[in-house]
Amino acid sequence: MKALILNGAKGGDAWMATIHRAVSKTMRAAGWELREFILADEPIADCMGCFGCWVKTPGVCVIPDLGRDVAEAVIGSDLLVLLTPVTFGGYSSILKKAIDRIIPLLSPFFMKIHGEVHHQGRYDRYPSFLGIGVMQSDDEESTRLFTTLIERNALNYQSTGKSLLVTRGEAIPSIEAKLAAMLNSAGGRS
Amino acid sequence: MSSIKKVLLLIGSPRAGRSVSNALGEYLVSQMAAPGVKQEKIFIQQALKKDPTGTILINAFADADIVLLAFPLYADSLPHPVIEAFELLSASSRENRQGQKSFAVLCNSGFPEAGQSRLALGMCRQFAKESGLAWKGGLAMGGGGALEGRDLDKAGGMARNIRKALQTAAAALAENRDVPAEAMNLMARPMMPTWLYLFMGNLGWRIRARRNGVGPKLCEKPYKTP
Repeated sequence: MKALILNGAKGGDAWMATIHRAVSKTMRAAGWELREFILADEPIADCMGCFGCWVKTPGVCVIPDLGRDVAEAVIGSDLLVLLTPVTFGGYSSILKKAIDRIIPLLSPFFMKIHGEVHHQGRYDRYPSFLGIGVMQSDDEESTRLFTTLIERNALNYQSTGKSLLVTRGEAIPSIEAKLAAMLNSAGGRS
Repeated sequence: MSSIKKVLLLIGSPRAGRSVSNALGEYLVSQMAAPGVKQEKIFIQQALKKDPTGTILINAFADADIVLLAFPLYADSLPHPVIEAFELLSASSRENRQGQKSFAVLCNSGFPEAGQSRLALGMCRQFAKESGLAWKGGLAMGGGGALEGRDLDKAGGMARNIRKALQTAAAALAENRDVPAEAMNLMARPMMPTWLYLFMGNLGWRIRARRNGVGPKLCEKPYKTP
């Protein structure tokens, strides 16, 4: 099974680098084949909101940079791991830049899911989502927002999403144990 | 008498002046115009490209009594440049505590349901909380695609409720009051039946693709899957 880790930490964030190593180690031990992007190191342009990926070059972003590789890696994986400092309840700007660039994986056409309008899938199956959010300290509202964001982003891709929230300074073995338990149930493509 | 002397409008859409966010934001601040009240508008993405350290944004933000943000819904959240601006502004606010300024937002979604913006509004409220701003509320509308490229004044009867919502919100915000529930409810009302919006939307994608010579390729799957 293939997993993709998108790390949305700022460059030089030692704690996030520690968490990333723990996540990689735990996932490899569980038998996952990993591909990883440290997004802070990568020059990725902003989505321009031009819809060219739908009506000019269907399925591929019109910007020829690493954003295309990220989209291809997402659809080529069974599990998408979004590792990020929780930022106002959501993703860091670094991670969000990459997330904004994967909409070519969807079709422009509309459909209803559970009575709500979403875009149709371009592909038959999408990876499951696992959000690993790192918080400065416990915050009930941030936790609620992040958990909902992962669920709703997964729903956009007709998939399922789960979240693991940890706080800076939490013991690494404890984080590894929680992740290992989640991986047993995170599963593959939806 | 209002304490609002300087209004800062931030446009969060990468489509800048051509965006629905710009049309909504422009209309809102036009309703807040009054003698002695200064207004400034910044396109976030352009400002960050010009000055990645965020100084332009931070200085304008520091000067304002009320900051209004208009943005499109991107993947249940805010577009990347808006989150980057939030990160810079929040850090600056924590370092330079001044008098508490007010913050309100306008979110437009391409989906017909205004409720799809609830999560993004929650993130804006969280930004306000973490940055020491007074949260004045958020207005969300669905079906933003129907307004594409139009001034709100020229959008006819379809945008009647949107204009009324923004007028009501502007009257409250100009006096530094919260956005009234009445304005939020009006803003969330569909501009047309959902079935018609979806029909027009789906037809529009086909027409645009055909014009670009890729009509038959609209549903292509260019990447391999496991």
